[in-house]
Amino acid sequence: MKNSDNISQELLETIERYLNGTLSTQELDDFNRLLDIDDDFKAQVEDVRAMLFGIEAQALKEQLNEFHKDIPKTKTVAHTQKQKVRFLSYSRIAAAAAIIIAIGSIWFFSTPQNEKLYADYFKPDPGLPTTMSSTDNFEFYEAMVKYKHGDYDIAISKWNALYESKPDNDTLNYFLGVAHLANRKEAEAIPFLERTVQSKKDFVLINDAYYYLGLAYLQQGNIELAKTNLSQSDNDIAKEILSKLTD
Amino acid sequence: MGKTVHVLSQSQLIDAIKSNDAKVLKELYTRNYPKVEALVLKNSGSIAHAKDIYQEAFITVWTHVKQNKFEPQNDTALQGYLYRISKNKWTDVLRSKSFKDVKSLDKDNLRAVKDDETYNEPENKKLKITMAAFENLGQPCKQLLKTFYFEKKSLKEISEELNIEENTARNKKYRCMQKLRAVVLASK
Repeated sequence: MKNSDNISQELLETIERYLNGTLSTQELDDFNRLLDIDDDFKAQVEDVRAMLFGIEAQALKEQLNEFHKDIPKTKTVAHTQKQKVRFLSYSRIAAAAAIIIAIGSIWFFSTPQNEKLYADYFKPDPGLPTTMSSTDNFEFYEAMVKYKHGDYDIAISKWNALYESKPDNDTLNYFLGVAHLANRKEAEAIPFLERTVQSKKDFVLINDAYYYLGLAYLQQGNIELAKTNLSQSDNDIAKEILSKLTD
Repeated sequence: MGKTVHVLSQSQLIDAIKSNDAKVLKELYTRNYPKVEALVLKNSGSIAHAKDIYQEAFITVWTHVKQNKFEPQNDTALQGYLYRISKNKWTDVLRSKSFKDVKSLDKDNLRAVKDDETYNEPENKKLKITMAAFENLGQPCKQLLKTFYFEKKSLKEISEELNIEENTARNKKYRCMQKLRAVVLASK
């Protein structure tokens, strides 16, 4: 091999044309004949072939690094898609579980918590003083006495009798409400208390009415209505509960 | 050639590879990499290993195609071939002493079949020398030769891009080849 031999520009180009198949038939015949008889020529041709191949291979190699830069994207997309799917289903399960737990715990814990709050704050309305006995209100105060003694059922039935004839009486509505509440019958208390607070007239115990209505809703687990009503009350204790609910 | 790899027939694909069609090469490269990466990662390799082995395999496949050593048998023959060569190359790495010293391998997963990969050692060495020489060639020469021999652009196109006479480009190309040749010969 005479590697050190210089290849002329013409020869190099002719060899290149031979390699990429662009020689004319005549040229190709001559070329092949020369290849057959001249080993040095043959070696030169192989040299050029190897060099051109090396150039291409190296160029490709460098190109591959360029290509590769685009892979992480496609690859991670493909990968993360797969993983995402898996991850998604994990996270879906997790989310579902979380929701179930959340709902469950709201249901499970909130009621006791609300009840606890309710129990902490609920004290039956002390009732009205019954010392003065005005005859027209005799039945009302008689029930009040029962109420104060904790005989809520009796108080309620007596007030109910009065309520038949005076359904719009704020005081009556209010005490029926708080009596039911004291009797642990929030559901029955609520309509009375609602009627109390919705009354147009200025009711002296309006703040208490809102407060007890709020508590009734709280006990029922209706936090929103509890908040709404508690926020209407000026009672400090109502504000205190409200702040606990908002926390 | 605006077609993508998966709609090209194998013979079209082979032709595109032979002419270094950048789009086809890129798609072939990027589409088949994830499988190889998965294989290498599953078999005690890293992402860097995967990239190296895949690029080597890719160049081998490209070489075989160029040298007509590869004849497609079915529609995904080339893609399968690329994967097999990657796998074999990775198996070789795992078997190699230097690698064994560092990591134990999962032999069950790697009972790979030795490919009919025709290895011509002296030729391979020659190729490596040329590649290294070209890699370190000055940038202007490198760019010119790459554009002409790899991207297969004509001297006319090149001269227009460089805003020079076609004949100047031709002479430049020759001088660059002489330079490269000198380096290759010196390395032997």
